[in-house]
Order: sequence, then structure tokens, then C-alpha cells
Amino acid sequence: MLKMEGVQKIYRTDLVQTHALRSLSLEVEEGEFVAVTGPSGSGKTTFLNIAGLLETFDGGRYTLDGKDVSRLSDRERSKIRNVKIGFIFQSFNLIPDLNVYDNVDVPLRYRGLASGERDRRIKEALERVGLASRLKHLPSQLSGGQQQRVAIARALAGSPRILFADEPTGNLDSLMAREVMNMLEEINAQGTTIVMVTHDPELARRMHRNIHIMDGQASDFEDRSDAPVDRIAPRAAAAAPAVG
Amino acid sequence: MEIRPILSALMRNKTGALLIAAQIALTFAITINAAYVIRDRLAIAARPSGVDDEQRVLAVRYTMNSPQNIDAMAQRDLRSLQAVPGVESVAITNQVPLGGGGWSGSFAVQNRRESPSVNAGMVFDDGHLLPTLGVKLVEGRYFRPDEILVIDPNTSRDNPPTALVTRGLAKTLFPNEASVLGKTVYLGNTADSPALQIIGVVDHIETPWAQTSERHLNSVIFPQRLLQPYNYYVVRLRADAAPDTRQQILDTLARNEPDRVTTRGLESIADLRAKRYRGEYAVAGLLLAVTVFLLIVTASGIVGMASLWVNLRRKQIGVRRALGATRADIVRYFITENLMISGTGVVAGLVAAQLLNALLLRQMSLPPLPWGGLAFGVVALLLLGVGSVLGPAMRASRLSPALATRSI
Repeated sequence: MLKMEGVQKIYRTDLVQTHALRSLSLEVEEGEFVAVTGPSGSGKTTFLNIAGLLETFDGGRYTLDGKDVSRLSDRERSKIRNVKIGFIFQSFNLIPDLNVYDNVDVPLRYRGLASGERDRRIKEALERVGLASRLKHLPSQLSGGQQQRVAIARALAGSPRILFADEPTGNLDSLMAREVMNMLEEINAQGTTIVMVTHDPELARRMHRNIHIMDGQASDFEDRSDAPVDRIAPRAAAAAPAVG
Repeated sequence: MEIRPILSALMRNKTGALLIAAQIALTFAITINAAYVIRDRLAIAARPSGVDDEQRVLAVRYTMNSPQNIDAMAQRDLRSLQAVPGVESVAITNQVPLGGGGWSGSFAVQNRRESPSVNAGMVFDDGHLLPTLGVKLVEGRYFRPDEILVIDPNTSRDNPPTALVTRGLAKTLFPNEASVLGKTVYLGNTADSPALQIIGVVDHIETPWAQTSERHLNSVIFPQRLLQPYNYYVVRLRADAAPDTRQQILDTLARNEPDRVTTRGLESIADLRAKRYRGEYAVAGLLLAVTVFLLIVTASGIVGMASLWVNLRRKQIGVRRALGATRADIVRYFITENLMISGTGVVAGLVAAQLLNALLLRQMSLPPLPWGGLAFGVVALLLLGVGSVLGPAMRASRLSPALATRSI
């Protein structure tokens, strides 16, 4: 589903060059639920941005859903983001002036779907996250957990092939975090590939694999579906004392 | 199109949008009326004088300071002027088109009090005036030399029995007649008003006052030389006249009679036009400056507000881009939003423009705003809005979708 080979990303200013990713190579299979961990500044967000086609990269090769996306135009990247990718952000990133219905509608409008089709998808997605009764509510009228569920509905409404989640439980209390994680697991169980950046080892432990990024490189990406995190990846845990 | 969600978002942040819409409404109301007044003033200033090639026709107004044989002096002047190299023809008259001052009288089709009278300029032609001015005769005939009367106002109250009229006056006096040749008009509407038989119609000869009303079309041309101490000499220059011909004309007049004041020097009809319509140009220029200033202020307001909104929505724009919006989608979003605000402003401006126009109709005798002009104004203001928002919208479209994952 997702394959990076030697991907590099350098941020340049007049005075400094920062190597955010140094020859990052990793692969995510279709249907996997993968955790991406690593300390602050390790390159997790850069990885997510590049994987989600939010940013370009400077070297290497990236294949998404069988298509080489290394050298696409901005318009082509937008199209792939819109059709194949779903995003869930730490701070939900709902549009504050739009109600729940219109927020879920945003990516569907950019896809140019007919209004009847959009309506069906929006209602189905909101039904799936248990917010079908809150269509007219503004984000400010919802709890954090509910807002994140709207964001999940927004990501699901487009039926993406892969979901990128950036610390989706980072701004939630433990009860709501669990609720959101259960929801993501359910979505993954239905076949959607999920790549989730997290600081939380508890959450990472619940996933199939943990890819640990350190200094811009993926230092470990083993199958963890049947083993606890501290036994399978001692090197990653030792390298990232700040995690969690 | 995202009209409904944009509208719904705007309704939650009304203040800024309403201020811009109000500014657009005010700008529309003022600029559309100002543009209309400018057009009206410039159209007045561009009206033909009836004179062919205004640059080549010169007029000099003189006043005699001492009593003398006025007619002999005039004849001598005319002969001398005709002899100046570069002069094509000369004439003597009481007034010139756009000259600022002259004679006028009331003319009626019947010499009875009930008959409505029409005010018209009175031009005295010595038999050479029309060719010298280059005024076109469109019907009938010009005066024969034997028809030209020499009238001393101190001893005679005579009037010539024939006259030419302008086409405008002919239509006013005889609106239902195909031809006015042979018709009689009266200088006044009383029983003793002198009768004039119309023997010809000229296309147009502007009155000295060039009124803004239709009265500027009305003139009657009399075949006469009036012996008075102040008159105009009109001179038509040849196309190849030397640059110093004007000075030679003034020198000739000074040589002939030093005891004479040429009140305003030698002026071409084009000079007189510029002088007469200075006010129109000043009003048009002032209104144009106000209009341009208002448009700049409004455009700046839109640019400022759009830039502010782009800055406030950086994260939102990043999120939209992350969710699949192309750069064009972002530009389209801001343009649509702006068109909705501008559209509201323009609709309100249409109402305000009509109210302002109603006020101007009373104050300045302007005709009502034409629908074509209003439609042009609507399109122009909407284009101004789109043009103003384009810069901020383009900047917004260049924001990275990665902003969605950054804390701003």
C-alpha cells in the first residue's frame, strides 16, 4: 500500500539545512494498522506529511497504492489526497464556521460528487461515528471526543484507501481516547489501512506494527501484532526515553 | 460551488463582510452617479459648435473709445484683414459661437400674446459670416449681397425681412413641418413684432452662452451689419497660414486704429470652447478624482479584509488543501466569497444610486440613470472586487497543505 525507499527531506533556510528525513525506507501493507513512534523532532510529522502528500521530498522514491507519487504535480497530489487518503489530526481541524454536516461535506465537494451522493455519504459516515443526530451542531457545541469523531467521519466519508492519523487521541481524555481508538480499530477491521503517529506506547502496543523513527530514519518496523512492545523493540524503546 | 457553506460561514462573521458590502454600496452609489455626471459634462463639452475646423477660425472683439465713422472703419479693417497673408476670409458680426456674450430674443410663430415664444441667439451676418465660420447651410439659400442691411441703432429700429434659422430652432418652432422655408417667425409675440421670412436653414451655430439646455440649439441669423462701437471680426485662416499670422492680424488692427481696445486679444473658436467648458472639465476632473479615490479606498478595503481573512484562516486553508482542495479551489473559494459580499453591496448600491440620482435630478436637471450605465457599474464593481481579492486569494492558494499538521 505504502512504500518509501531512501526518502530524504531537507528543510533549508538561508543559514541552516535541517535533514528531517535521512534515507527513510519503510513499507506498509494493505489492511495494516501501523503505529509511527519516535521522540519529538525525530521526523514523525515530516514522515506523515510526505506520506500523506502534504509535502514534497528531496530524494528517494515513494509508491502509494501501486503508483509512484514522487514527482506529481500539485494538482495530482491534491486529487490523490482527496480520493485515496483520509486524515485525522490531533487538534481535529474542523472548520469552526461550518456545522457538522458541512464539515464532513468539505472533501466531498472537492471531489465534485453530486449533492445526493454527498448527502448519502455524509449521513452514513456520521451514523457510523454515532453523530447522526448532531448534523446542525457547530464544532464549538461538541466535546473534544465528538469533534474527533466528526473528523473521523470526514475522513471516512470519502472511502479512503489509507488513513493517516496524527496523534488522534493527543487532545482527548483517556475515556474519549479509548472510544476513538476503538473506532479506528473497527475501521481498520473493515479493511482500511491506518498509519498513526503517536507518542503513547499503550496505543502503539495495540497496533499491528510499530515503526520507530529516530533522527529521520525508520529504525524498526517489525510485526508486533502478537507481542508486547517492550520485548519486541527494546532498541526503539531505549532510543526514545521521552516517548509516552 | 460552495455558495451555501460560504454563506453560512459569512453569516457567523457578519461584521467585516457587512462593512465591506456597505463600502461597496456607497462606492457604487457615488461612483455611478459621478460617472454619469462626468459623462454628461464631457458630452456637453464635446458638443459641436457648427464651426468647421475651430482652430482656423479666429475672433477678435473690439471696442471703440471715441466716436467716429464706425462703418468706414469696419470696411477698412475688413479690407486690411483680408489682405493679411494666410487669411482666407473675414466677416464682421455681433457675436460668435461660445463667445460668452451676445444678443438673444424671443421668437414666436404668431404675433399674438397667446403664441408661445422661444428664446434664441441673434447673429448678425454681413454676408460673409457663414462661409468664414464654415457653418453648413442645409436647406434654402444664403443671403444675397443686396439683402444685407446696414443698421445704425441710434437712428433706426429696422429689422431685415428675411432670416436663416438653425435646424434646432426650426424643429422647436415648427415641430410638425417637414420644411420651414417660407415660414414666418416674429421677433416677439405682440401685434407690432417684426416678421421674418425664413429663407434657409443652417445645420447648427452654437450660441455664445452654449447653454446646457436645448436652448443652445436655437439661433436666428439676420442679414445685417449693426453700426455699434463694439463688434467681432471673424477671420478664417488658410490651412497653410504662417504661425505669425495671428500677430499680423493684431498689428493690422492696431495700425488701422490705435484708439481701440481688442478686449480679449485674438482667440480661436477652439480657445473659446476651452474657456467656455473649463467649468465642465473642472467638475468632471474633480468627480473623476473622487471616483478614483473611492475606488482605490474600496479596493484597498477589500484587499485588506481578504488579507486579514487569509491570515486568520491559514490553518483552515491548510486543512482544506490537505482534504483535497487544489490551488484553484482555494482561489475560487475566496472569489466566490468576495462575489457574494460585493453582490450584496452592489444590490444595496443600486438602491442607493437611484436615491442619489433622484436628488441629483432635482438639483442638476440630469436625466435618470440609464439601465445600461447601471449594468456597466454592476459589472465594474464586481470586477473590482474580484481583482482586489485575487492577490490575497493567490497567496492563500500557495499555502502548504502541511499547515494542517502544524500548530499555528
